[in-house]
Amino acid sequence: MTKKNYIYILGCTFIVTLFSCKHGEGEYHSINDKIEAESKNYQGTSISSESLLEDIHTIKITEGEHTFLIPERKSQITSYACTECHTKPLHELQSNDTLKKAHWDIKLAHANLNTMNCITCHNGENMDNLKSLTGNKIDFNRSHKLCSQCHNKQFEDWKGGAHGKKVAGWAPPRASMTCVNCHNPHKPGFETKWPAQYNTQKLKERE
Amino acid sequence: MRRLKVFTSLVKDSLDTTTQGSKKYHIWMAFLTFVMLIGMYCYSIQLEFGLSVTGMTDRVSWGLYISNFTFLVGVAAAAVMLVMPTYVLKDIDFKQAVLIGEGLAVAALIMCLAFVVADMGGPSVLWHMIPGIGVFNFPNSMLTWDVIVLNGYLFLNISIPFYILFRRYQGKTPDPKIYVPGAILSVFWAVAIHLVTAFLYQGLQARPFWNNALLGPRFLASAFAAGPALIILVLAVIRTFTTFKIEDKTIKKIGMIVTVAAQINLIMLVSELFKEFYAPTHHSESAYYLFFGLHGKTALLPWIWTAIPLNVLATILLTFGKLRNNLKVLYFCCFILFIAIWIEKGFGLIVPGFIPGPYGKIAEYTPTGIEIGVTLGIWALGAFIFTILAKTAIKIETGKLQFKNK
Amino acid sequence: MSNNNKKWFSLNLGTSKKESTGSCGCGKSSGSCGSHTNAIGEERKKDGFDQVFDVKMDRRTAFRQLTASLMIGAGAVSTSCSVISDDKSKEKAQIDWEEQFKGNYKLMTDDEKKATVDRLVRSYQLRKGKNITMSSKNAEENVLFGYAFNISKCQGYMDCVSACVEENNQDRNSQMQYIRIHEMEDGKGFKFDEADDNYYHEVPAEGHFYMGTQCFHCDNPPCVDVCPVQATWREDDGLVVIDYDWCVGCRYCMAACPYDGRRFNWSTPEVPENEINNNQHYLGNRMRKKGVMEKCTFCVQRSRAGKNPACVEACPTGARIFGNLLDPNSTIRWVLENKKVFRLKEDLGTEPKFWYFMD
Repeated sequence: MTKKNYIYILGCTFIVTLFSCKHGEGEYHSINDKIEAESKNYQGTSISSESLLEDIHTIKITEGEHTFLIPERKSQITSYACTECHTKPLHELQSNDTLKKAHWDIKLAHANLNTMNCITCHNGENMDNLKSLTGNKIDFNRSHKLCSQCHNKQFEDWKGGAHGKKVAGWAPPRASMTCVNCHNPHKPGFETKWPAQYNTQKLKERE
Repeated sequence: MRRLKVFTSLVKDSLDTTTQGSKKYHIWMAFLTFVMLIGMYCYSIQLEFGLSVTGMTDRVSWGLYISNFTFLVGVAAAAVMLVMPTYVLKDIDFKQAVLIGEGLAVAALIMCLAFVVADMGGPSVLWHMIPGIGVFNFPNSMLTWDVIVLNGYLFLNISIPFYILFRRYQGKTPDPKIYVPGAILSVFWAVAIHLVTAFLYQGLQARPFWNNALLGPRFLASAFAAGPALIILVLAVIRTFTTFKIEDKTIKKIGMIVTVAAQINLIMLVSELFKEFYAPTHHSESAYYLFFGLHGKTALLPWIWTAIPLNVLATILLTFGKLRNNLKVLYFCCFILFIAIWIEKGFGLIVPGFIPGPYGKIAEYTPTGIEIGVTLGIWALGAFIFTILAKTAIKIETGKLQFKNK
Repeated sequence: MSNNNKKWFSLNLGTSKKESTGSCGCGKSSGSCGSHTNAIGEERKKDGFDQVFDVKMDRRTAFRQLTASLMIGAGAVSTSCSVISDDKSKEKAQIDWEEQFKGNYKLMTDDEKKATVDRLVRSYQLRKGKNITMSSKNAEENVLFGYAFNISKCQGYMDCVSACVEENNQDRNSQMQYIRIHEMEDGKGFKFDEADDNYYHEVPAEGHFYMGTQCFHCDNPPCVDVCPVQATWREDDGLVVIDYDWCVGCRYCMAACPYDGRRFNWSTPEVPENEINNNQHYLGNRMRKKGVMEKCTFCVQRSRAGKNPACVEACPTGARIFGNLLDPNSTIRWVLENKKVFRLKEDLGTEPKFWYFMD
């Protein structure tokens, strides 16, 4: 073979090698760069979770720099307004033995009794509202304000979206569950339970 | 027109050749057919019920089929060890063996393709892989490279011997200007098929056991040991059962190739073992599993501890010229070397790649009867094809089979 | 296998299971090869008609499967020519024919996508007499899906796993699961090899934490590169999806995935008929066949409609957060920017879009 032929073959090999590089869409160095670059001109999407929220009564709240929807609470309470029964302030009702006892089944498992009892949150003077530690009124629809008095770290995460669940979808508008949608305020901890699944096939595989 | 006539006559004659033979030959072919039928039956079960009839699972998703595929690519590549000296270096000692070697390559390649098809979950949609009709993910997927190089190599190894035999059949001498470029190409191609097959595994960052730079070279070294070892054994059989003359010199020269390749292979093995066990990291777990077992899971120990001693023994025996030149010792060494490398490069390479899994979970793999049946069937298919090819080629080479213009 | 059980739905289109192979119930038992040859022997002992009939059936089924595509073609021709067969079977054959030789979904135009989806819906209707809805919705602009998992919140309830299995019509026989929850011991770090991903005791267990893994939808997915037929690819919204009808079942992607994210249908997937989720997407939870890959798609049928994936919705602890990475106001972005996040095996350069964080 002549020299020309060798050069020709070498050239072909070179071109083949060039084209055989992985054709990755390597525009960005990392996913973070990609997110940053592509979200600069974010125009919103056509996907919305509004239709998913249609049947759910929500209210808009603004906490810090975050504005989002949370489920409305009062309409979900079976016998609101509370003052329909609690016609008088609590201490007056308590002294009256002729009336039936209510809420007897509620056992408080939230902090200890030194820290909390019923009236830490409930307003004995006006049962239609909750009250803050300093005695200010808090609406039942905004109960997160009550929780955030102590659980401020969780509150920060919740505002940002790291704590808690969304009501329906991921798409805007944002609608987050509020504290009491997942936590029973009288017993906020999660209970132990059995896992939902047990895979017998996996067990066999591993033997 | 004349060529067509010669061709039809060649086909007829070779059919005659392959259907006639001694009693032993018939028994051999009947046996292979029987094994092939068993294999087909097992495969039909696999087709009906899916790959769940094999021992493979989501944890170990490649098994016996891919192991054999990997090994056989090496065997196919080894034909080059005979082609190069004969056609390129003009060493006539190899001349007799070269057609046999290429026949072996063809048989091995067909087995490779059969193993890949057997491993497919959807063989009925394999046309998706045909460039033009389907979608061929070239050059991103190493598997597409493998498809190209394997089929290309198959084409080369069919066309070169066919050209030579076709000329011989007509009583003419083949023109070196036509087949030598092809032979040179096939030399490079043989290295390529095995390197590409190694890259298939080497390119996976998910499997640290495979993802090491030595895999490709080691594939080549072990292939150039196991392939010619098989050729020596085949030549020995041919020598005893046919009139085809193969000189001792040829076999001894191939023995030399086997020796050097086995030595290099052993050095690379030592290098790998050193890396895995001197400074073991999280990535050495597969090697630990292979050689010592992990968490009481020891399915591969009998395999690898058969392979390693056989490999070492064969290499040591072969290293001494006196022993090597004793044909009986040579045959023995070739046999155990072949077995050792089959284990090491098949089971010993593919299965530990999956164990432990990406999250360290250990699930072992044992092939099922059906899997073994299909595997045996494909090996029988390879032997069948090789026997037919060799029988025709030998008859033409010895001048017994020639075109007669009636 | 339990195909005889009428309760189960199986997508083995057209080929009915015959009883004769029942004698070689060769699931995963070893050494069954010998038993098959025995089975042949037994058949030979049968008298005249039975013997011929059996052998004929054997051969025919084997042949049919060996040349499945040809047979479907032949079937289409024969039924469309025959006067006896009714319109329905003609239509069925027509659909089978077109489905067998359709192209890769990734390369289809929107019309072709709609056509294949319509065919699949019609085919299901013809075979099962039931209606399903199947979507071929494409990736939306300005969307890149991302996922965050709060290790300190997960309690190991595995509600996500159940929801995933139900939502995505996963094979109940092999108990396929996309999600694995690893139970890890406190104070030992991420010891995946010592973790248990198949625990069954009351959770959360004392002194343990839980970590879920699934397909991470890598931005630089190794599985996509290795697929020889481009049956798997990354969509513009970041989802790594599979065209089940294009997959040839080589399982190379499975070997390439460093996260154990992919699953293979080793046999025909079976889902009880009344448990089938009818809200389907071509790339998502539609019924699969045997011999193809599948994996988590972030519930493409849900996420492209604005909903959360089933695992996110099912999680009772709120440990799972899903959203649009390109939306600066999305909660997932807040998590990435304000929490200490990390990903698994980041050094492999796969760029997973699945982050872990702690409270």
